[in-house]
Amino acid sequence: MSGGWERYIREYNTRRQFLRRAGFVTMAVGAGPTLLAACGSDDDEPAETTASGPAKAPKASGRIDYLSWEGYDIPDPLKAWKADNEVTVKATYIANHDEIQAKLKASGGAGGYDIITYYQGYKPLYQELDIIEPLDEQKLPNLKNLFPYFASKEGSFWIDPDGTRTGVPWTWGSIGITIDKRRVKSMPTSWYDLLEPEFKGRVTLPDDPVGSFTLAAHVLGFDPSETSKADGKKVFDLLSQVIAQSNGIAPTFGDATTKMTSGDADICWQGWAAMNQFAADAGVKTFATAVPKEGSFSFCDAYALPKGADNVDSSLSWMNESLDPKVNAEAATVLVGGVTVEDGVKNLPANVASLYKYEDLDSLLERSPFYNNPPVESDEFVTFEEVQTGWQEVKADAPS
Amino acid sequence: MAGGQGGRSQLMKRAGPLALAAPATLGLLVFFIAPLAAFAVYSFLTGALYDVKAPLTFENYTEAAGSDLNRQLGRNSLVVGALSALIAVVFALPIAYWLRYAAGRWRALVLFLIVASFLASYLVRIYAWRSILGGNGLINRGLTELGLIDQPLDFLLYNRFAVIIALVHIYLPYVVLVLYAGLAPLQPSYLETAQDLGAGWVQRWRRVILPLVAAPAASALLFVFVLSAADYVTPQFLGGTNGALLGVQVQVSFVGTGDYAAGAAISFAMLAGFLVCYALIALGLRLTRLDRVRFAA
Repeated sequence: MSGGWERYIREYNTRRQFLRRAGFVTMAVGAGPTLLAACGSDDDEPAETTASGPAKAPKASGRIDYLSWEGYDIPDPLKAWKADNEVTVKATYIANHDEIQAKLKASGGAGGYDIITYYQGYKPLYQELDIIEPLDEQKLPNLKNLFPYFASKEGSFWIDPDGTRTGVPWTWGSIGITIDKRRVKSMPTSWYDLLEPEFKGRVTLPDDPVGSFTLAAHVLGFDPSETSKADGKKVFDLLSQVIAQSNGIAPTFGDATTKMTSGDADICWQGWAAMNQFAADAGVKTFATAVPKEGSFSFCDAYALPKGADNVDSSLSWMNESLDPKVNAEAATVLVGGVTVEDGVKNLPANVASLYKYEDLDSLLERSPFYNNPPVESDEFVTFEEVQTGWQEVKADAPS
Repeated sequence: MAGGQGGRSQLMKRAGPLALAAPATLGLLVFFIAPLAAFAVYSFLTGALYDVKAPLTFENYTEAAGSDLNRQLGRNSLVVGALSALIAVVFALPIAYWLRYAAGRWRALVLFLIVASFLASYLVRIYAWRSILGGNGLINRGLTELGLIDQPLDFLLYNRFAVIIALVHIYLPYVVLVLYAGLAPLQPSYLETAQDLGAGWVQRWRRVILPLVAAPAASALLFVFVLSAADYVTPQFLGGTNGALLGVQVQVSFVGTGDYAAGAAISFAMLAGFLVCYALIALGLRLTRLDRVRFAA
């Protein structure tokens, strides 16, 4: 019995923590030609050829030390690849995104980790901390499979302005309002609807300072990575109102789902389409998620090479494999997320394919952009630390 | 020769305990004292991003003490820790007494069940309380079925009440075992003697039992207080919007903002607070001479 509970809790913690790293860089509109935008969607199309010759994935071997979320090591989708290459994976799972930089900095590059993931908003921080290595695109032929947006330099999330690649985007998603239709009869059309008296004490929200700040800033029309100190007060004021509507902050996204399935909450600020599936897995098929008129924000995770990695070729081979259309789709299915590979869409089951409008990704991402995190240091803008502290303050000041 | 053997024997007698204690001492030094010392140094350095640097400063402590948020969370910690500890001891004492003097053939089974309760995971216990106290939980459903309420009782969950109930439940078995061990030297015959001498049950509790268990009860009180006050997981699951305790600030500093110096300073401020509590309780026991109560076998 207890084993079942623990598995249940673990699974929810894992899947939803995905969301909490949702992040933060303004998506530049109209980015120039990308290195890989010309990638075809046809599997038979030859790998991109560069001055150095055709790209080719290296041979994987030995043990890969993985550091990131449980589930992001996509054990089932990579099963055949691991068997073919006789690769083993030693996984270290995290409880929140910040553990990655904390562990890498604490080990000083000697932690022996070979592969990590990062949420796009963390890119500037990871560069400042100097904890990720450039990737050799000549060893990543499947980059040609990426959707044009994910292959582009937009936002410098995965490719620096000078063309240096730092990450391989392989999964993504957008957030919205999640409701339980058993108790909420019609989907709210605005984030402000959550502040109505009918939802007093019925709202849940995850304990995700940066995600909540990003969402509230977006709703108010601010870029969370460039929110002035004065505007920051307005953002926290909105968050105070949201928290006042809740009966408690859920420590994890999974817990927010559990609160709703158990009837302790009806509606989720910073919800996620995947919560519908999590609830369905728990036998509750009445969850629905929608992005209201103000839009929301999106998040994308990329594989990256940490400093000190000693099985580089195997990690690159892993990253390359994650962009195989079938593997990418299988990972999206397992994680109830989005595919970054164009041909992956046709491999998705209907319920996962319908999560996002792949036929019009640009519009979707314009409405729910990828943002950067608040800056580490700034005299002008709200900083990452101020977000963390401000979040604790609005929680502490909330009525009990 | 005999003198030599005697000398060796004496040496062995002296060195024996030291040798036995050496591995544990070494382990403590390497895995506890050394990291603690390192963090003590961190707390006086200047915070950098996931690092510390010179110069030495006392600013981390002044900022920690000057923060309204820290003070508020510190007060939360104090209240939750103190109430959980007091309630756990008050509940545990009669259970320990019953186990020692009245359980009879049930003693072994109940002790086994108490120990077995440690096998239940922390999170499972928290979720169990959710399913008992929640809007659709056992209590609310039961009362609704009985027709006693129309609407669920909201005050049962997502507040300090729920947090304290869960913490008491989590730590009660430890306290019962500590108090049971404290009562072990007190043979039933002594209580019978006190009764024969005219002591009623109130006097027996006040003059015999309580003085004897005062020291172990104080230990258990501190134990539960420290663990409850430093807990930041249970309040997040059961405590409502403002249930956070001071421990969360340590976590945010070390993992979230990467300000090791600030996190270390808050940790040592908490440690200092716990040491003050320890000193106050020790002083109280000494002033009342309860620290000297021993039961001669």
